[in-house]
Amino acid sequence: MSVRHAILGLLAQKPRHGYELRSAFEALIGGEQNWEVKPAQIYTTLSRLEESGLVAEAAIEQDGGPEKHIFDITPAGREELGDWFEGAVEEVHQRDEFYLKLMLSINDEFADPYAVIHVQRSSLFRDLHGLTTQRQALNGMENLAQILLLDKAVMHLEADLRWLDMVEGRLDEIRSHPPPEPETRPRGRPKKS
Amino acid sequence: MSIVETKELTKVYGSGDTALTALNHVSIHIQAGEFVAIMGPSGCGKSTLLHLVGGLDRATSGGVMIEGHNLSDLNDTRLAELRRRKIGFVFQFFNLIPVLNALENAALPLLLDGVPLKAAQKKAAEWLDRVGLSDRHTHRPSQLSGGQQQRVAIARALVSEPAIILADEPTGNLDTHAADEIVGLLRQVSSQWGRAVVMVTHDPRIAAYADRIIFLKDGVMVNETRLEAGALPAQ
Repeated sequence: MSVRHAILGLLAQKPRHGYELRSAFEALIGGEQNWEVKPAQIYTTLSRLEESGLVAEAAIEQDGGPEKHIFDITPAGREELGDWFEGAVEEVHQRDEFYLKLMLSINDEFADPYAVIHVQRSSLFRDLHGLTTQRQALNGMENLAQILLLDKAVMHLEADLRWLDMVEGRLDEIRSHPPPEPETRPRGRPKKS
Repeated sequence: MSIVETKELTKVYGSGDTALTALNHVSIHIQAGEFVAIMGPSGCGKSTLLHLVGGLDRATSGGVMIEGHNLSDLNDTRLAELRRRKIGFVFQFFNLIPVLNALENAALPLLLDGVPLKAAQKKAAEWLDRVGLSDRHTHRPSQLSGGQQQRVAIARALVSEPAIILADEPTGNLDTHAADEIVGLLRQVSSQWGRAVVMVTHDPRIAAYADRIIFLKDGVMVNETRLEAGALPAQ
């Protein structure tokens, strides 16, 4: 899981306590509006990593407030992080809720698939508008890392919008085919003739 | 009051069996300071709509109102005058005059409207500065990048202080980076300088900069999406 590897990667840079890890993660991802990680998730992940021997407590800091447990990466953690760097990240391309909704709306007399497409297109355009606004506010010299992340999201939205146009253009054709159905296999023993 | 309004706007090219309806009863309203994108597949009538709103072509039926003036009530001379004073045009291929420098190109609409040279050039210089070309006044189009040429064209469109800017695929001839800068500038034209901007584009990323998108298909307005929920900028 990615938060787990992000924690390993951040601890490989230098030892940190839980609160610091969360701020560093947020800075990396460009703010919690992009990817929110709750403190509880950081602490749970840290203790699991500690149980597996991938991180270890390096020191306890106390400056008036509650104790801060500072963690460091272990050699086993370093190895796990290395494996992560060497492997590919698996992306899910075909698990698509909108596709399901559209296909089911085509064969539902109370639904209008064209309206389903329109609502989705409007929503994607609003997301794209939000991202371009966010991107314009960033400085190309200082915020290059965040710009790269925004650009990825922008490119995906562009592709989603193009795909919607294509689906809309072929909707009547799709409608004229029978909907996908499972292959019917007779249950039980074949009847004696 | 809407600054641009079309009522049942219809344009038919040709007649009889070969008649082609490019625009079919399209009614839209555009407010001052609003940035509107018009999208749709090629041949959907988006450029026709822009040309009719800009008074570059006459409607077959229905009407265009610009600040309450019905364009079909104007003769050609009055129409040309309204076009010069109320509307600025931005094109895909910039349409700058090659032998004139940036300042001379930007000043041209004012000179054609009878403004004295000094005053026209002063105004043109101000707008070139505002669009980020303060160090390019004496460059000719061939000495400028595509993005810079389009900036000159935008300064030229704004120099007569029109209420409306019409842009036909303004980023169609630019690379991604320059396209973002130009559409960002058009957004500024509406949000900071209070002009209504109507832009035709087929590029979803560029359209997403607008406050509102109007979708056309086969000459008919099929949908509309508001992207900016907030109130329109104050004048």
